[in-house]
Amino acid sequence: MKITLPIHTVKVLVKRDLFSALRGSGLYVVSSVLFLSVAFIVKNYLDSIKKNDVFVSYNPLSSAFFIPMVIVSVYLALVSAASISREKDQGTLEILFYGPVSYFSYIIGKYINGMLNYLVVVGFFFIYFLGISNLTNLGFSYRLVEAIFMSIFSVSCVISFGLLISSFTRRIRSSILWLVGIFLLFLGIQLSHTILLGMPETTMPSVLVYFEKSLSMISKYVIGWLSPFSYVDRGMEAVSLSDLKLYGMNIISCIIYSIVLLSLSMFILEKKGIKG
Amino acid sequence: MKKLLIFLAMIIGLVSYLSNMGWTQKPVMEEQLVYRQRFFDGKGYGGKGHPDGFTPHTEDTIYLIADHDNAISARITLVYFWPVAAKYRANWKALNEEVEGPLEILKDEKVIKSLEKENNCIYYPEGYIGEASLLYTGKKAEKMRKGFEEIVERYYMAVRMWRRKVNEYNKKVAEFRQEMEKIREKWRETGEEPSDEEIEKLILKKPEKPEPPEPPKFYVTEPRKDYTVNLPQGTYKIRVRAKDGTAQDSQKNLVVFGPRKTAAIGYEIVPENRWAKRESCDDPRSIIYVEGEENTLYFQPFYHDEYNEFYYNKLADPQNYGREKKWRWVRSEFIKDGLLVLLKEGKIIKKIENIPYYAKEIRGEQRGFDIIEYKKEEMSPDIRPTFEGHKVNLSSELVKGNCQVNLGKKNTGEFVKGGEREIRLVTKENSKYFYPFALFPLVIGLVIFIQRRKELK
Repeated sequence: MKITLPIHTVKVLVKRDLFSALRGSGLYVVSSVLFLSVAFIVKNYLDSIKKNDVFVSYNPLSSAFFIPMVIVSVYLALVSAASISREKDQGTLEILFYGPVSYFSYIIGKYINGMLNYLVVVGFFFIYFLGISNLTNLGFSYRLVEAIFMSIFSVSCVISFGLLISSFTRRIRSSILWLVGIFLLFLGIQLSHTILLGMPETTMPSVLVYFEKSLSMISKYVIGWLSPFSYVDRGMEAVSLSDLKLYGMNIISCIIYSIVLLSLSMFILEKKGIKG
Repeated sequence: MKKLLIFLAMIIGLVSYLSNMGWTQKPVMEEQLVYRQRFFDGKGYGGKGHPDGFTPHTEDTIYLIADHDNAISARITLVYFWPVAAKYRANWKALNEEVEGPLEILKDEKVIKSLEKENNCIYYPEGYIGEASLLYTGKKAEKMRKGFEEIVERYYMAVRMWRRKVNEYNKKVAEFRQEMEKIREKWRETGEEPSDEEIEKLILKKPEKPEPPEPPKFYVTEPRKDYTVNLPQGTYKIRVRAKDGTAQDSQKNLVVFGPRKTAAIGYEIVPENRWAKRESCDDPRSIIYVEGEENTLYFQPFYHDEYNEFYYNKLADPQNYGREKKWRWVRSEFIKDGLLVLLKEGKIIKKIENIPYYAKEIRGEQRGFDIIEYKKEEMSPDIRPTFEGHKVNLSSELVKGNCQVNLGKKNTGEFVKGGEREIRLVTKENSKYFYPFALFPLVIGLVIFIQRRKELK
């Protein structure tokens, strides 16, 4: 039996969604808002150099990249999830499935569209950061390029997670609420753990010490594998540590995570049916 | 809603009750066999902020740096849990009993060494608060301490002699004053000025104040008996073999680790306007950013080694946390005999020597500090240099297009590997363009939108 991949169908689906995204205003508005936040962060950097007379850094722009990257990945996950729910809700999905569209081609199409959208933003990132580097003389380091490259794989995890959540829900509102809720929970746990880790133990009451230990266990064994932001975090850690092995391992784990989540999305979509 | 509120109140009450219990309860003391480590930390063995390491029974691994002497001992003490730090602590004052017997070191379950206790002491060449500290073991430790005690004894003898001389000096001063008074009285009575000869005689009689003896600058701790462990990198096991042949529940894993990078060059940068707020430049890839027309920085080069953060944190206290993937720099010593070379586009601009500086306080309305070159002969003896460094003046012309610093060897002029750093001047004025530039994706979107409209028409 010859198995053929529905490349043409995927291409058509991607083209349709990508053109719609590029002709819309969302991507451009979000990018501009993110760059305004980058401008604010870099301006504060420059103020701190003036205040302290000297500032030492290998990669001064990477922390200005991290926050916008997380925000854009959440935006793309929300857009992907909303687009599936919308098509389910409006019945477009049903019409598509009367044609040559399969669950595989549909989910892959949505995923590739999300990734291509991110690549457009990556292009904007390159232009903006190069511009800032030239304007200020702050170094556009090799590590920043590494961080941007790693972000492609990290964002893949966030988009896959968004697609998985949307496969469970039928309405746009519920898929967005679920996604935002789960993301906030993940980010909340990770953030509280990071804050507690940064606190000196001697000033912490014993309850907080135990709480920190519980959070540490949850972060390591649950959130560490389930949350897409853990992959983002590990990726950025690999970049900051300049650890090539960790960098490669994280890319592989991001790919595996995305494949697993995309397969699960196809399976759930098929189980629940087109009408959800 | 009511149920939820009651539930929340109960949870809050329980948490505060439990936390209060933790604060108010008297800690439970437990007699334990523990290890105490006098360890090499990459720089030395002791001094300020470097207490002995302590491994309670709950920790199964001790961490040490390879190829350096480390003195460890097994002791019986009272251990209690200190909830504030969430760590076990030892009450040495209540119980501090030595465990007798040789220390066995095992590799792959085979005993490779059996160590007996020997004397060790720490030698501080610059005094107890100085940076350097060395560990002496065996007979050398006893010799060092004896030598130190002799020098201290000699110092006290010199102090006694000096006191005697001071008493004599005070007597001579009194006699000198009496004689001077006599001459004055004679002058007053006769109205005749004393002759030059008389004055010269008097001046020659003026006693000289004896100088106090210099106290010994170095310090040597009292010898104590420990096992001296010096091993190459690897994982081992240790245990104390009691006289009856038992291991007394003393077995621990021993991780002996070394640095990933050694003798790398780092810089401590002291900005002239904020000399107390120093910036460290560890990584050779790091760039030094400055802002403004004129900048004066003082560079203090040093050697440092890079260790695994997890192992290094566990060295001082095995109860500490750390990340195995992270590495940290540990400063070993300042380089005082180098030349800092300032370069622009590969050409040498200046060679700068390391000299001492003094931060002189500006009194009055202006307030602040003036960094002046420390010249011993021109300054009062109680003034000491605040810091040493290579002074680099960076004018905006010099930094435009970036410049570099590198560390050269004084005798050969050769550059030290890993000593180069780039200095960049940031242009803050251009930050006003950041916000309009951030809108460029919107412009692209607008162009696409207009083009699409045209196509549709």
